Amino acid sequence: MVHVADVEFERLVEDFYMPLYRFGLSLSRKESEAADLTQHTFLTWAVKGHQLRDPAKVKTWLFTTLYRQFLAEKRRAAHFVETEEETEFVEPPHFSPSVANAIDANIVQKALLNLEDRYRAPVTLFYMQQHSYREIAEILEIPLGTVMSRISRGKAEMRRSLDDLTTIEARKIVSLTNEGQNG
Amino acid sequence: MKDKMDKSEIRAVLSVYRPGDPETEDPRLQQAKAAAAADPELAQWWAEHQEFDRIISSKLQSGEVPAGLRSRLSAWEKRTVQRSNWNRGFLLAAASIIALAVLFGSWRGPFQPAPSLAEYRDELVSFVKLDPPLELRSSEIVRLTEFLQKNGAPSQLDIPRGLRRLDPAGCRTLRFRGQDVALICFKREDGELVHLFAVKRGALPRLGLKRETPEFAAQGDWMTAAWGGDDYAYLVAGKGDRASLEKYFGTS
Repeated sequence: MVHVADVEFERLVEDFYMPLYRFGLSLSRKESEAADLTQHTFLTWAVKGHQLRDPAKVKTWLFTTLYRQFLAEKRRAAHFVETEEETEFVEPPHFSPSVANAIDANIVQKALLNLEDRYRAPVTLFYMQQHSYREIAEILEIPLGTVMSRISRGKAEMRRSLDDLTTIEARKIVSLTNEGQNG
Repeated sequence: MKDKMDKSEIRAVLSVYRPGDPETEDPRLQQAKAAAAADPELAQWWAEHQEFDRIISSKLQSGEVPAGLRSRLSAWEKRTVQRSNWNRGFLLAAASIIALAVLFGSWRGPFQPAPSLAEYRDELVSFVKLDPPLELRSSEIVRLTEFLQKNGAPSQLDIPRGLRRLDPAGCRTLRFRGQDVALICFKREDGELVHLFAVKRGALPRLGLKRETPEFAAQGDWMTAAWGGDDYAYLVAGKGDRASLEKYFGTS
């Protein structure tokens, strides 16, 4: 049986530092904090990782550690406390894939960061495509039904935000074009 | 749960469906999938929804990760792996190696050869390529040196006159190969930071720095200048070309 201690530290960093950084960025909205959260996660692994018995849990362990550190540092835990069970899904507004394809990645990132805290973390983990719903529930320590509901609502909210942001960008381009023609 | 869902409810349920995820194989989702299979309009909507998700996922995963992050983690990696190995019983093996080395006269003191200037420079510059987390933020140099002294890092610093004219942003302590390093960050005229590191000269004998004469070396789009003082070896690092640092030493 492969023991967790055998998981090579360097390979672990190579495999996970980018998704961890992106998750940290979506939580903190700041590059420097995301980098610190990523670093802290690997430092914690170096000290405590050997206590983990199941190598299959390494990925979830790293993301959970980063998330807990974020909550501890920001003392935002109160914002994430469940007050009611959310289990309903919502129909997302239509958004054409061809329009989505043309959107700059920075705008997509901005739309994600615009989401409310409670939607941002599950939606980020959803779009990373590295975690099952059950793993997302473990990382965020919320019920599975709540995860799915928040992803449903978060994705719908993100489409609305993308729609707003692309409209604003389009106006800027029109405005600049007009200025150019007038000038 | 209602027996029959309308189209809006079906779209809502389909929006969370993920192929291959066991949690989305429940009866409600299966019902929505079956409805989409029987209705071309729903099928078209669902195909577009999945394509949209794929595009968004790809764009979010293409977001840049700071270039210095991997280097910073590597720098920590060496230390933390070493430390955790010690914690896990490596101590005995290491002690045996040291005993053998001493016995055969090859032991030179530290656990690895003393680092070169290039290694020192590379590791510290990689640390500050991302704005480093500061332990004390202050524009008063006295407060910063007091903090460094209190934390056992070099503090009686001989700071170049050009740097002293800049406002400090803050400071922190670092460890490099077991040695305390002081870091003071100054606010440059263009809003960027310029970083001053200091470490005890005796701690790093292979640095081989000449006194008072800065040795310039580029690292990507960063420039560094290193020199030796009476007690400490100094390193200054900042984004830009040689001229961007030379001005702090009064050599241009």
